[in-house]
Amino acid sequence: MVKKRRFFLDLENEEKWLTEMAKQGLSLSRKTVFGYELWQIPPQDTVIRIDYRHFHCPADFEDYRMLFKDSGWEHIAGNKPSGTQYFKRTDKEGETQIFSDTASKAARHRRLSNLWLSLALAHLPLLISLIYSGAVDPLAFLKPRLLYYTPGLWDMTGGSFLDAFLFETPFAIMGGVSWTLFPVLVCLCIGCAARSEMQYRKVKHGRKGGF
Amino acid sequence: MKRDKNLPLTETAYYILLALLKPAHGYLIMQKVEELSDGQVRMAAGTLYGALEALLRRNFVKPVQTDDSRRKVYVITDEGKRVLCLDCQRMSHMIHVTSREGLW
Repeated sequence: MVKKRRFFLDLENEEKWLTEMAKQGLSLSRKTVFGYELWQIPPQDTVIRIDYRHFHCPADFEDYRMLFKDSGWEHIAGNKPSGTQYFKRTDKEGETQIFSDTASKAARHRRLSNLWLSLALAHLPLLISLIYSGAVDPLAFLKPRLLYYTPGLWDMTGGSFLDAFLFETPFAIMGGVSWTLFPVLVCLCIGCAARSEMQYRKVKHGRKGGF
Repeated sequence: MKRDKNLPLTETAYYILLALLKPAHGYLIMQKVEELSDGQVRMAAGTLYGALEALLRRNFVKPVQTDDSRRKVYVITDEGKRVLCLDCQRMSHMIHVTSREGLW
């Protein structure tokens, strides 16, 4: 078992990398939050594809995997709620794609974009309530001085100022950083959603079908 | 005359509905569609799954009970049949007027 740490924003790049890994004899066995766990196997000339879907009931998930299995794709990683579903081509002569038209190929990015957006929306009420309850002060972004609580700190001079300032700085950073995490998380989610949405539009309108 | 909002069906939706006049599971639908279209419409697994999901949502197909616990089997609904018929009439009208206008 080999562990590799990678992070991909692009499903296409992830597919390429995993396919390359399989060619080098490393087959994906599990995707974790931190990276990939890969089996060591004889090098395989295969293709790895990723679909993005959630399932609520086990029967739907089983049916989904059977459809792919019947069509020459082995489900190698992913579970009901994980979203990303990894498939390996089993039939050497078979299809190399899991989507045969632009609409369905693009829809995968749309589903991913919706996930990021719902994550952002889920964090938003928490952020707002933190601001209203006073736990988070957006002004501190502009005036980092607000993070220091020692009375009269800014009127001190020389060595006593430096001592007090340096003593409190770690606490100020902790106080500032800990609640900065939420806005950053929300922005990150929105950023990822926007990126997936852009990919959706690019795939959908990149090659016009028919007229 | 106001046209049904479900028209026109996409080529894949049309063939899937046609294939589901008889109950079938996912892979069987793919094979049937390929056969019905003379090999012109070859659907990949992810595309078929999404298309079936959309047809289920619009109530054009429904799942049926079978012995196979691992694969779901679907069949066309009355609503699906109605839309399929309408789309067929739409296309035969196109063929009719094309020949009347003297293309061939």
